[in-house]
Amino acid sequence: MTNETLAIIAAGRRQRRRRWVLVTSVLLVMACMLCCAMLLLGNTIYPIKDVIRVLSGEELKGASFAINTIRLPRMLAGLFAGFAFGIAGYVFQTMLRNPLANPNVIGITSGSSAAAVFFITVLHSSRALVSVAAVVGGLVTVVVMYLFSRGKAFSIGRLILIGIGIQAMLDAVISYLLLISSQQDLPAAIRWLSGSLNGAQMKELLPLVIAVCMLTPFLVILGKQLSILELGEQTASSLGVATDKTRVALIVSSVCMIAIATATTGPIAFVSFLAGPIANRLVGIGFSNLIPAGLVGVNLVLAADLIGQFAFEYRFPVGVITGILGAPYLIYLLIRMNRKGEL
Amino acid sequence: MKPTHVFQAEQLVAGYDHKTIIQGIDLVIPSNKISIIIGANGCGKSTLLKTLARLIKPISGKITLDGKAIGKIPPKQLARIVGLLPQSPIVPEGISVADLVGRGRFPHQTLLRGWTKKDSEAVAEAMAIMNITEFANHNIDELSGGQRQRVWIAMALAQQTDILFLDEPTTFLDITYQVEILDLLTDLNRKHGTTIVMVLHDINLSARYADHIFALDKGKLVTEGEPSKVITSDMVKHIFGLDCTVIEDPLSGSPLVVPKGRYHIGS
Repeated sequence: MTNETLAIIAAGRRQRRRRWVLVTSVLLVMACMLCCAMLLLGNTIYPIKDVIRVLSGEELKGASFAINTIRLPRMLAGLFAGFAFGIAGYVFQTMLRNPLANPNVIGITSGSSAAAVFFITVLHSSRALVSVAAVVGGLVTVVVMYLFSRGKAFSIGRLILIGIGIQAMLDAVISYLLLISSQQDLPAAIRWLSGSLNGAQMKELLPLVIAVCMLTPFLVILGKQLSILELGEQTASSLGVATDKTRVALIVSSVCMIAIATATTGPIAFVSFLAGPIANRLVGIGFSNLIPAGLVGVNLVLAADLIGQFAFEYRFPVGVITGILGAPYLIYLLIRMNRKGEL
Repeated sequence: MKPTHVFQAEQLVAGYDHKTIIQGIDLVIPSNKISIIIGANGCGKSTLLKTLARLIKPISGKITLDGKAIGKIPPKQLARIVGLLPQSPIVPEGISVADLVGRGRFPHQTLLRGWTKKDSEAVAEAMAIMNITEFANHNIDELSGGQRQRVWIAMALAQQTDILFLDEPTTFLDITYQVEILDLLTDLNRKHGTTIVMVLHDINLSARYADHIFALDKGKLVTEGEPSKVITSDMVKHIFGLDCTVIEDPLSGSPLVVPKGRYHIGS
């Protein structure tokens, strides 16, 4: 009897594993195709062999400049930022067991932006310091939100509502800082307002690349703890997860990721919000969907950027397109939560 | 058979933020037996269970497992010996039964060693004991309350601990399922020697299934021992404030509490 049971369990696991691998592979292939499209398309469409020659170091008139200076940094910024947003969003949504509990919706991204804009416009700090301020700003927002939502008993619904309120307040602070800022600070500050891959530069990508390459393996390792935390505080601690330490590690690393990504591309609306639920829908629940969520993020950012660049008469920054995609889903979730009586 | 453990609390005081609920309790959990904690609403039975299962940090006093303070044992190592089924566990939407039960294997896994055959076997065995094999690859949202509760207990069983705490494992279940769950837990105790400690609401089911009763009142341990010695009409009056007659359960021989009411005073 037990052998039969073993076979049933093994079959189920195999099937779910296969689906995970399949979806992840498809997402990976799609991301690669979008990356290629980002390099090929533009004012001039270069043939693939020219792109390969340029990337391998050859100097081609016109193509070298367009690809090395404009398209490649743009593609890499979208790639790494999309991945970071997707992963960080998934971590928050899974940990708090609610798709609304997302850095983008509950004001953590705005906390980063407000701190960054303050350091740019008022303190005229260096780029590095601004990035640090963004990380700290995001973490401070988390702490403030947690303190406000504690009340008599911690409730995720309350945390989300408070987060939305904090988000509105912080956005007002950002607008005020932009109004009083001087002309020369404005371009640097405005980047923090809305997501765009325009003007991405190779040398500015380094911190993001380092953050993603270092924090992703760390979060993948914590993925197992994350899937236990999802069962609630009590079950998690009785299964031997050090819940407080794990939660702090998850929050700090995902806020770092999202703040550094935002420093590079600006807050690309709703990517971190959409990636996790899309990945869960595609793969199903069972194994950790951290990597699929990151890949969905990449696909969303790159596809939205291509749409923004080429689908309309005017060029729209990527954040406008993802905003249009994400807003209806946010409204849908709010309505559903309200119906279930969770808000 | 599971090994014998000495699990005890000394001068235990515990509660939440500013409110002390457990007011100095000394107890030793009888190893390889079924113990049931009873008491009126708000007497602290759930708090006691959670404190013993290290979900709540005691205000003072100590809890030891084989002479070692449980706070000093690494959480994962402790989770291989002591397990807990909380009162209202949270289900991730859309997870399959086998995957959920499989999560109970977490304390047995390490960073490098992922899922092994041993994990599959533990899951298969737990599902067989709880009689849920047929649902293995079903989505948990499709199951009834009683079936779900069996899945949760199976998850705690897959953890393969020697001691298992359960916080009201039969609440919200029909009487049929209550008896079924308690029978399955008794199987577990008799066949594997698992030490079981649970909070139960129903005093008559407690009397039937317990080897040992802990009776709590206002955060204090009033009395403990075999059901036939502990459950008397005086004790029920003291703990629940209920007038009753205690007779012998015709099926199990354990004490059976027959409550008196204003319309049924008896003689």
